[in-house]
Amino acid sequence: MRNKSSRFAIPYVVWMALFVVAPILLMVVYAFTSAEGGFTLESFASMGLYLDVFTRSFKLALIATAICLLIGYPMAYLMAREGRRFQRLAMALIMLPMWMNFLLRTYAWMSILENNGLLNQLFRAVGLLRLLGVDHLELIRTQGAVVLGMVYNYLPFMILPIYSVIVKLDASLLEAARDLGASSLGVFRKVIFPLSLPGVLSGVTMVFVPSVSTFAISRLLGGGKQMMLGDLIEQQFLGGAYDPNLGAAIALVMMVIVVVCMAVMTHFGEGEEQAVVL
Amino acid sequence: MKGKRKGAGRLLMALVFLFLYAPILLLIVFSFNSGNSSVVWRGFSLDWYVKLFQDRLIMESVYTTLLVSILATIISTVAGTFAAIGLFGLKRRWRSPLMTVSNIPTVNADIVTGVSMCLLFAAIFQSWGVFARWFNGVQSVVELPTRLTLGFTTLLLSHIAFDIPYVILNVSPKLRQMDKNLIDAAQDLGCTWFQAFWKVILPEIKPGVVSGALIAFTMSVDDFVISYFTAGSATSTLAMTIYGMTKKRVSPEINAVSTLLFVTVLVLLILSNVLEARQEKLARRREDALKSGAEHRPAPRPRPAPPAVTRKAWFRRAVALVSAGALCVVIAALAAATNAQPVVNVCSWGEYIDEELITQFEEETGIRVNYQTAESNETLYSLLKSGGGDYDVIVPSDYMISQLIEEDMLAPLDYSKIPNFALIDDQFKNLPYDPDNLYTVPYAWGTLGIIYNASMVDEDITSWSAMFDDKYAGQVMLINNSRDALGIALMYLGYSVNTTDEQELQEAYDLLRDASDRGVYQGKVMDEVFQVMEGGNAAIATYYAGDYLTMLENNEDLRFVIPEEGSNWFVDAMCLLKGARHPEEAHAWINFMASTDACLANLDYIWYGTANREAIEAYPAYYEELYGEELDQETFDIIQTPPEVLERCEMYLVLPKETRDLYKRLWISLGV
Repeated sequence: MRNKSSRFAIPYVVWMALFVVAPILLMVVYAFTSAEGGFTLESFASMGLYLDVFTRSFKLALIATAICLLIGYPMAYLMAREGRRFQRLAMALIMLPMWMNFLLRTYAWMSILENNGLLNQLFRAVGLLRLLGVDHLELIRTQGAVVLGMVYNYLPFMILPIYSVIVKLDASLLEAARDLGASSLGVFRKVIFPLSLPGVLSGVTMVFVPSVSTFAISRLLGGGKQMMLGDLIEQQFLGGAYDPNLGAAIALVMMVIVVVCMAVMTHFGEGEEQAVVL
Repeated sequence: MKGKRKGAGRLLMALVFLFLYAPILLLIVFSFNSGNSSVVWRGFSLDWYVKLFQDRLIMESVYTTLLVSILATIISTVAGTFAAIGLFGLKRRWRSPLMTVSNIPTVNADIVTGVSMCLLFAAIFQSWGVFARWFNGVQSVVELPTRLTLGFTTLLLSHIAFDIPYVILNVSPKLRQMDKNLIDAAQDLGCTWFQAFWKVILPEIKPGVVSGALIAFTMSVDDFVISYFTAGSATSTLAMTIYGMTKKRVSPEINAVSTLLFVTVLVLLILSNVLEARQEKLARRREDALKSGAEHRPAPRPRPAPPAVTRKAWFRRAVALVSAGALCVVIAALAAATNAQPVVNVCSWGEYIDEELITQFEEETGIRVNYQTAESNETLYSLLKSGGGDYDVIVPSDYMISQLIEEDMLAPLDYSKIPNFALIDDQFKNLPYDPDNLYTVPYAWGTLGIIYNASMVDEDITSWSAMFDDKYAGQVMLINNSRDALGIALMYLGYSVNTTDEQELQEAYDLLRDASDRGVYQGKVMDEVFQVMEGGNAAIATYYAGDYLTMLENNEDLRFVIPEEGSNWFVDAMCLLKGARHPEEAHAWINFMASTDACLANLDYIWYGTANREAIEAYPAYYEELYGEELDQETFDIIQTPPEVLERCEMYLVLPKETRDLYKRLWISLGV
């Protein structure tokens, strides 16, 4: 059977060559050429100008990932300890927003955070704004709003993988730890947490990668002022400064940094296979 | 103690759910609002739902989203399953590197996948163009199209490409768990390979295939970034439409879409949960029955099982049949919709047409108008260059027209098919951007100026200095395109907007940069400006005269001024793209939009000046008849800038390549 079924791999290898490998090679080619077509390193040389964008993107994405982890881990842990019916309901409730489109979820925050938006109106009605002596609080078009958008959009991606790892933990393992005299904190620290690490790792990946490369969130909630890597790349392809060579170079650098980060992390995670499967 | 801790845990969970659902619930509540605000409640109404179902753009994008998701799910599930089996059949030495390559799209950031696919398609189109031109040259039997653009096919291909790895990831573990001897046994017993696959492999890996399909579908429906880079302009998924809408005035129709989506998903989830629960209960009962059967004597039962099984099988077959039928209908509808009618693809700017004119044109000519908008001249240019602009007619501004002519991207017009061109005032013919008037018919013209909210500003603004003043820190909106933004600074400094002097441009940049660092700008906006200024969310913005009058209808506190330093005046003109697929229809559209009736209706709607001589002369009377009051001179002067003001204004000219590159560099640095 083995030899016969392996022929099905051939069309897929061709497909991958065309739609996975070729696009990335093409990106590399673009990154190392000029608009006229000759080889050049100019795109990389000018990258220093965008250092601020790189640091801002990684900073905001890291903060968002950390917040997701801080909220998501306890959430997943608590969920896993509840009864079956509750678990099923909670899972459904967490998945539900994911099926609505990601842009709708981001848009939902726009009218809440505007200067004359719902939150500011609420604060005004309560008298908080008068207390602070301001006309409105600056909520939208700030870095905080961008982080909020990331957390709101990607929190389910943190909860689900952690939950699916914790819920599969062998109950007898925990019992054994307790029988051997571990306190509940000890059980958590020595048994549950280490075993849940693969879930944490895949959760971190699934939050960090889209956060660091987003352009819609920073555009809608950051007001085009908090430019991120995604915005920078989008500008070069479909935005106001057409330059695919520079865009490809930035995308390439971002890809390399992310891959290196992930490799380092999985290295520390003892090379566990990622729980991409929901 | 324990109960208390559990209570605290429940509270935390409740808070997280509140965080997840509060914004969505607000969206839903305001979808029933009768006003068009998403902040102030003005009473219950279903208007937005009615409007939603009449909105062709949204309905078409819902349809595109569903179609592409379903097709991509089916294709990638089948292909992915076979690919997984194929990979599984390989030796480990080959399998692991191939799996790594296969996983690339799941690990890569969406934007990298999207951008690289966009580059791939652009490269393919380019080679195709070369081939097609050569092929058309050597023979004359078949005429191949020379210009391909992004569209539904490229969108579908990209979705399949990023869905397949998820299917493989879900199927592979099931294959590994399977007993490998099973297949050999089946084949030894006389099955062909395909029979063995159907009867032995598939039942074993079914859970993996199903969850793979589910994840593929979820990924496709939720995707925005990859679609954005590979769908081009003519095809638009729901996410792309929403993104486009958030960049303009946001209509509560979006809230209505959200509500409908939410309810649909909710119903589906409840259904699947109930079914699952029932199945589990059944399974448990069966188990119990077996157990009790083992303990006691097997009770003689009058064969209850078989009918249930067949009923279930029938049910399953019926479901399969219905879904297959639905799919066929959907595909047939698509085919019918795309082929039946002549079409013209138009790209213009936001809030730049009286949409009733589109309906009128369609009724008169039977040509369907696919009306899209771009954000600015620069984004339009990027879209065209990336192979994403499947347009026939575009409406760029003066300087961009020159650039497009220079790069050989426009086709000359056949003026014998545009008799209404004779109605264009001579003042608007043979302008510098098109000196011999071969490519363009003016659509509208106007000026750039400062729009401010008199209730938030305590003086009459008369100078561009307001755009750089600390006094208004955090209250100013900068315009989000390089030519206008740097232009403002140049005008304030007293330089020409067409300067090529690097020193002067650098000075202009420094001025903007400094103001930006001091926190003068709340943000950068193009058509978002309507929402921001009408809602009183900023005090000062730079935008176009006609749009000011539109905003004034919704906020009486707004004022408009052409600063004393002077400003820019512009003409937006209709052009035909080279290689356009519907040149006949394009000429019909251009002629229609240049007619006096269309210009009058459009002028009354968008408040921009028109180049049609009859229309501008007839407008005051038209206005009086329509509204029963006289058109005041002030408004008329904003529509039709008087000559003495126009004297202070300069038109943008196309800049040499080096200066354009400098603009690009400065503009990006400003965003950094």
